[in-house]
Amino acid sequence: MMKGLAVSLGLAGRNLLLVRRVPSVFIPSLIMPLFILIATSGAFHGIGALPQFAGASYLAFTIPMAATMGAGFAGINSGMTVARDLEGGFFDRLQSSPAPRVALIIGPMLAALVRSIFTTTIVFIAGMIGGVWLPGLLSLLLIYGFALLFGASASCWAIGVALRARTIQAAPIMQLVVFLSVFMSVAYVPVSALHGWLGNVARFNPVTYILTASRSAELTGSIIWSETWPGLVAGFGLLILLGIFALAPLRHLENR
Amino acid sequence: MTAAVPVIRQTAALAWRSIVTTMRLPQAWFPALFFPLVLMAIFTASFGGAPGTIPGFPPVRSFLDFAVSGAIIQGVLIGGTTAGAAFATDIEGGFFDRLVASPTSRTSILTGRLGASITLGVGQALLFIAVAAIFGARVDGGLVGIIVVVVIASLFAAAVGGLGVFLAIRTGSGEAVQGMFPLFFALLFFSSAFFPLDTMVGWYHDVAALNPITYLVESMRLEIIGGATIWTALAGIGIALGLALITVGASALALRRRLRVAA
Amino acid sequence: MSDQAVETRDLVREYKGGVKAVDGVSLTVESGGIFGFLGPNGAGKSTMVRMLTTLLRPTSGTAIVAGHDVMKEPDVVRRRIGVALQDAAIDPYMTGRELLRLQGVLHGMKRSDCRARADVLLGRVDLEDAADRRVGTYSGGMRRRLDLALSLVHEPVVLFLDEPTTGLDPVSRVTLWDEVRRLNVEHGTTVFLTTQYLEEADQLADRVAIIDGGLIVADGTPKALKARIGYPLLSVVAADGSTPDDVARVLAGFGEMVPGAREGGAAVRLPGGSTAMADAVRALDDAGVRFAEIDLAEPTLDDVFLASTGRHLAGSDDATA
Repeated sequence: MMKGLAVSLGLAGRNLLLVRRVPSVFIPSLIMPLFILIATSGAFHGIGALPQFAGASYLAFTIPMAATMGAGFAGINSGMTVARDLEGGFFDRLQSSPAPRVALIIGPMLAALVRSIFTTTIVFIAGMIGGVWLPGLLSLLLIYGFALLFGASASCWAIGVALRARTIQAAPIMQLVVFLSVFMSVAYVPVSALHGWLGNVARFNPVTYILTASRSAELTGSIIWSETWPGLVAGFGLLILLGIFALAPLRHLENR
Repeated sequence: MTAAVPVIRQTAALAWRSIVTTMRLPQAWFPALFFPLVLMAIFTASFGGAPGTIPGFPPVRSFLDFAVSGAIIQGVLIGGTTAGAAFATDIEGGFFDRLVASPTSRTSILTGRLGASITLGVGQALLFIAVAAIFGARVDGGLVGIIVVVVIASLFAAAVGGLGVFLAIRTGSGEAVQGMFPLFFALLFFSSAFFPLDTMVGWYHDVAALNPITYLVESMRLEIIGGATIWTALAGIGIALGLALITVGASALALRRRLRVAA
Repeated sequence: MSDQAVETRDLVREYKGGVKAVDGVSLTVESGGIFGFLGPNGAGKSTMVRMLTTLLRPTSGTAIVAGHDVMKEPDVVRRRIGVALQDAAIDPYMTGRELLRLQGVLHGMKRSDCRARADVLLGRVDLEDAADRRVGTYSGGMRRRLDLALSLVHEPVVLFLDEPTTGLDPVSRVTLWDEVRRLNVEHGTTVFLTTQYLEEADQLADRVAIIDGGLIVADGTPKALKARIGYPLLSVVAADGSTPDDVARVLAGFGEMVPGAREGGAAVRLPGGSTAMADAVRALDDAGVRFAEIDLAEPTLDDVFLASTGRHLAGSDDATA
């Protein structure tokens, strides 16, 4: 158990090292959430006039979405690292060592979580520069927490794809699913404003509840439980399902 | 005149080849169709309540009518980036050198690629209008409106194609050109492609107001939602033409310089 | 504690479509020696190594490595073996030192131990100067040395080397051979190496198994295998109007012919050695047979391969990949 932790930390450290060493791969995933924040809140500023927003700032509404997306990107990157290792042969070294199999997933995931904290912070600072001061520590906590939850899930998803595809060519699949899962939910407007088919899809999409929960303390500074608990259920449920998705191929690595 | 005929034929042949190779590679055409259409669908569903409610929103029948022109511009932009990457791959892979070593006219290397981009751009514009029509959108300007939209789309396609070729020649790497894609995507967001200019505020509004893409989109948009005049049409066509002349000119110069050095 | 470092029984690896990369291999490797696994490309060497190092699951059969079953106790096996595969499994963006330390962590060593061990190994494979440079900047030979060092971090009992010198220049190759010998002699590490170069097997290995098409075709010490072939081979290339058949007719009287051994000529096993060679040359002259080349060669492992399979071992003559 302790060895598993040590190995995970070691692998996480290596991932974070790669961020510094190969900036071209990671910089986009660090800048993207910032861009999403600025572009979304800027281009769609007018939508804030919809009655469903009840006068709330659209920039404030966008911050949790940008943070969550940033965490999603970080998760995708951890999957891409695993894919690259598999393609390049470095994974052989990891696999033939006595390191616990779980550590091969937890390590990259931890690195993704650290990067998620970093990107979420950047989004917050940008938001503050834009004039949004979040009411209270709780709203901050929720946004960080749900971003991390989503990031961990995205990481499991991407790593699961990487372990099966064994090639970096699978990166678009990793990205597409994460993008669509966020876009086909309450990325731009609250659930009450969604029309037609998207309204139906969003109601089944766990990300909808994660985002709604992430925003639930923004208005008043205190938690609105009816909006928060579905997010917790959806978030942890997603993490467990995707965790299984990532772990399953580990057992059969030797079969390929 | 006799010298022009082989150029035309060679242009057509190279354009045909570019089109065929693009169609055969899903990763070449899929993003240019998928992303604009999916975003159009998502935005329409998310912002359906905006027309009529939001101040600054132009009078439209539905958000879909509003969104089509932005989607077309987005599609042409993505397609153009892929085209540039393909051109760079041709350079990397040696196809370009083979062309240069053959009696192919230099001009047709460029016009062939641009011809392909324009053709694909026209196809995209018509396809997106058709798809939107299936879901209830209508072009207020009728046939003339559609023609204006297609003309602007094709000129913009030439402009993006020219930029792609320019970058391909200067960087020589397909990956580098693809890497520029996020930049162009950003450019698209800082325009009125997705939401009305009048609803934007502050510095964001000012940047979007300076972005030529905004005017291309608006010119097309007016044909679809109504309110277009001969002047709005000419403005859009003019700006697209201007952009095309700049980038195509730059790429022609870059091509000539490269050929001179290589020869 | 068994005396055998590796023991396999009817090991099979079958892929979808019925392709058997390894088709029933049974072998034993004694502890403390260097075992060479020789064969052409595609013979099944890498597949064997991957099965023995727990990276690949055998379709059937058993494999006991360092006293433990690879399928039943893979983790125990992993702790006792060192692995340096083809394509040096390294991360180009990390430094040599960082990779060695990470390897230590992977094996559950304490941080401080990892550091110390890394320093020791860097010295042993002569990479101290390059230790803090990114591995991507290393030459091919340096990468292999690092790969070797990585496989030794936890002091394995059995070391698996998959084509360790493929693609290396002659100097790097000899350096690596010396290092492998030193490991074996000074530390008693059993070495299981695969190679397509007969020279490598000949020079390094105490025992050799030759594999072709997923099956062992010959097995023994290099000396014994070559002795089985017998006498030195005299080969003559016909020229100037004389045909290979003309040459063969003359040489047939001197010993056992070896068909297919020499293109454009004929070859015979010469019991008399160099003295008999002079007689053979005279005989050819007397018969009016003209020849362009003539040489007498001691049997090599390629001859062993040829005798077992009817083909030459690819790349047997030179040191280039």
